Amino acid sequence: MVGDRVSVSLSGVAPEVRRRERRTRLVGLALLLPAILLGLAFLYLPLVFTAQMSFTEGSSYLAPTGPVTTVDNYRVMIERYLPNLFVTIQLAALATLADLLFGFPFAYILVRRVRYRDIVRALMVFPMFGALYVAFGMGFALLPGGPLDPILSALGIPNTAVLFSLPAVVFAMAIFTFPFMVMNIGTALSNVDPTLEEAAACLGARPMQTFRRVVVPLTRSGIVAGVLMVFGWSIGAFAEPLVLGSLNEQRSLALTIYERGVVQNDYGLSSTMGIVLLLLAFVVTYFSLRYSRGALAA
Amino acid sequence: MATVHLTSLTKRYDETVAVDDVSLDVADGEFVTLLGPSGCGKTTTLRMIAGLVEPSAGRIVFDDQDVTYLAPRVRNIGFVFQTPALFPHLSVSDNIGFGLSVKGFAKPAIAARVEEMLAMVDLAAYGKRLPAQLSGGQQQRVALARVLATDPRVLLFDEPLSALDKNLRDSLKYSILELQRRTGKTAIYVTHDQSEAFAISDRIVVMNAGRIEQIGTQTDIYLHPRTPYVAEFIGANNGLPGTVTGQEGDGDGTRILVQAGNRALRCRGRDGFAPGDAVIAYVRPEDIEILDGASDQRFENVLEGTIDRVIFEGPTAQLRVEVDGRELRVDVSGNQRLTLMQRDGRIRLGFDAVTLIAAPVPA
Amino acid sequence: MSAISEPARRPPRITSRRIVAIVSHGYIWIILGLFVLPFFTLLVHSFEDRGGSAGLANYEAALSTFGDNLVWSFKITGLTLLLDLAVSLPAGYALVRYPIPGRRVVFSLLQLPLYVPGAVLGLALLLMYTFTYHSVSMWGLVLAMAVGSFPLMLTPIVVALKDLPVTFEEAAQCLGATGWQTYRRIVFPLIGPGVSAGLLLTFIIVFNEYLVTLFVHPTDLETAPLRVFNLVRTNGLAPSTSALAVTMQLVSFAAVLVFFRVFGTRHLKGTYII
Repeated sequence: MVGDRVSVSLSGVAPEVRRRERRTRLVGLALLLPAILLGLAFLYLPLVFTAQMSFTEGSSYLAPTGPVTTVDNYRVMIERYLPNLFVTIQLAALATLADLLFGFPFAYILVRRVRYRDIVRALMVFPMFGALYVAFGMGFALLPGGPLDPILSALGIPNTAVLFSLPAVVFAMAIFTFPFMVMNIGTALSNVDPTLEEAAACLGARPMQTFRRVVVPLTRSGIVAGVLMVFGWSIGAFAEPLVLGSLNEQRSLALTIYERGVVQNDYGLSSTMGIVLLLLAFVVTYFSLRYSRGALAA
Repeated sequence: MATVHLTSLTKRYDETVAVDDVSLDVADGEFVTLLGPSGCGKTTTLRMIAGLVEPSAGRIVFDDQDVTYLAPRVRNIGFVFQTPALFPHLSVSDNIGFGLSVKGFAKPAIAARVEEMLAMVDLAAYGKRLPAQLSGGQQQRVALARVLATDPRVLLFDEPLSALDKNLRDSLKYSILELQRRTGKTAIYVTHDQSEAFAISDRIVVMNAGRIEQIGTQTDIYLHPRTPYVAEFIGANNGLPGTVTGQEGDGDGTRILVQAGNRALRCRGRDGFAPGDAVIAYVRPEDIEILDGASDQRFENVLEGTIDRVIFEGPTAQLRVEVDGRELRVDVSGNQRLTLMQRDGRIRLGFDAVTLIAAPVPA
Repeated sequence: MSAISEPARRPPRITSRRIVAIVSHGYIWIILGLFVLPFFTLLVHSFEDRGGSAGLANYEAALSTFGDNLVWSFKITGLTLLLDLAVSLPAGYALVRYPIPGRRVVFSLLQLPLYVPGAVLGLALLLMYTFTYHSVSMWGLVLAMAVGSFPLMLTPIVVALKDLPVTFEEAAQCLGATGWQTYRRIVFPLIGPGVSAGLLLTFIIVFNEYLVTLFVHPTDLETAPLRVFNLVRTNGLAPSTSALAVTMQLVSFAAVLVFFRVFGTRHLKGTYII
């Protein structure tokens, strides 16, 4: 028994325990390794490469004389392409606003009143099949003779004013991202006990007061998360401006990146745009991850 | 069949010490219960014995084999959890056969053993069902059969009855004891329920704040609690601090005389006390009787106090009586509780020799 | 007598409660209508008579050459799903059951690909493939799909593992099962529905992916959604193209319906379909 005592180190933890803890940690890291490698090799490394590329001139990377280092791309970005950034943000902001305005009541009714939720879920996946089909289908819907034509004329809006315009693009973008907004707000709402609203009503609050002073504060995290998520997804919009937009909307950064990079082979400038768009996305994502209750949260 | 020896077993989590220097020897075939409130370290101790938690220090030995750092699967133990933890996607039979199956036994051998186990827990007709189709009590019996099927060296129980309702608890605890006796397995059982521990254990280990307070049989712990903590945990709520003044009688009749305030108390004899020692005399609420004047002579100790409050609880009534500025709790049952409803004012209390504990030295 | 025999006053037929209910459900269905509107307009137009063919003939004409693209899509999607599974199953297990330093940060970093705009991911991979590997191959496309989609697989797995009480694994271990036996016979079957939710999500996204594909597809490889995209870009709003878009959405929707029937919707919790 004296021998047993010796193996207990001064700090009071047996070396055997340390060794096993270290082994467990290594096994855990080994299990994570494939995911980390995939992310590093095919996301983070290419992004670093892109950042590097954004400081080279045009397609000079391919030139036999070697890449020409320059900050010109960023100067050009600021001098000539700020409107593109603004259009990108404008489209995303409008789509997000539309999603919030129409999504909150939708989520509220869905959580509090709707029993046929599986049907709703099934139909809600349609936009998720892709912005391409949404934009394509909306194009048909807005055509003269399409299903939205009578509604538009009833509202006194000429058909031609909508198709290939900013409203059409925002409309399609909003539909594509709507499920994400509803998911975030709906999750927050379903965590709010309905008796709180009943309690407010019994204390004499009018429905609007209950809504403003009880429901909204309690679901704020879901609202913020939804807004950030939808905005983050919307700044990368590609198919909607391409299919439904005018030349103005087609200036959105994602489309410009393709035009300059793949069509015109201006790798330097398109990389710069990519980095700008990426930074915008990461800022949004940072706040989004902070506000949303991720899967790892308790 | 095995003996279990814990030597200075300790578990630290960062700053907190969950289990602190626990040593315990369990004999072959013995039923030992770790008793204590939640957070006292009893479950952590059990999980270290199973290998589900690694000790920070100390040794665990089964028979002559040091198992301290062995994985649970090679310890050959049977662990019954708080929830039945039956694998929901496997039938009752497959659950019971799981242990043999992962050890590579042949199918017919497994089937025979499963049959035997099902019969043992009286669930012979239930083999094909899924766990969800069984009641809570049946599920826990399957869990028992599942651990017994592998013929483990030691049975470990982590509050296996706490999730069940009261009637089931009562019947199942005797099933557990009966199965343990029949198989002759060494068993270590964790519970926070004093009556459960008293009903089924050979020995009880009372734990508090990661340490062992006392190890002993039911009567040891009930009549001779070693520390104030044990006394209070097993229900001796009325503590009267005092000083030893002398001793009289011998054998079972030995009485230690204690001066508590201006009262002289006669306490059950016990070694290790000398005149002048600071002690606490404990008396249980259910051991105190209300005196009506004629029966005073029957009791060794008589106190007089004022009724503070009567709390009527149906089958029993609780009395709060002030004695020399100290509140005593008295539990009353039978007809007396009804007549008490109208009582107030002075009252006389009688009780026999009380439990004595060395008072903690004031810091 | 009259006071007794007089029928109790009927409640008014139209109460404010009823109006609220009608408006609420009406609102839900109007929005749902908008969700399926693009699909149904495409469906209607896909049968439209234009350029000699009409009705199902549109489909025959369109699908004859579309078959190759569909095969590519299924192949790419299948390989991506396998890769996603191979990466996400161990990673999810490690994140939930092992002591990973900075667990939350690691999980966030692994989820980040989801938030990188498709055009940026596409450009970055295109640049790296052309300038460092000098080739854009099918495997390059599969890896591009995998890196963008594996968070969709990882999240439901993490949720399922977190919801699985650790007692089952402990019980298996105490009964003598090795780590691998515990995983294969207990953990995997029990998180199966969560894994399928991941499979469903990844399938929907990867099967319909056109943007990253547009950047990094090999010249001789055109997936089905990329074909649709290219046709939309060159032909505009053409009925023959809509036949292809309808086909794609029907295949995707069939996958969703099969999932709902087999597993229900419970396991989509915490993912991107509520």
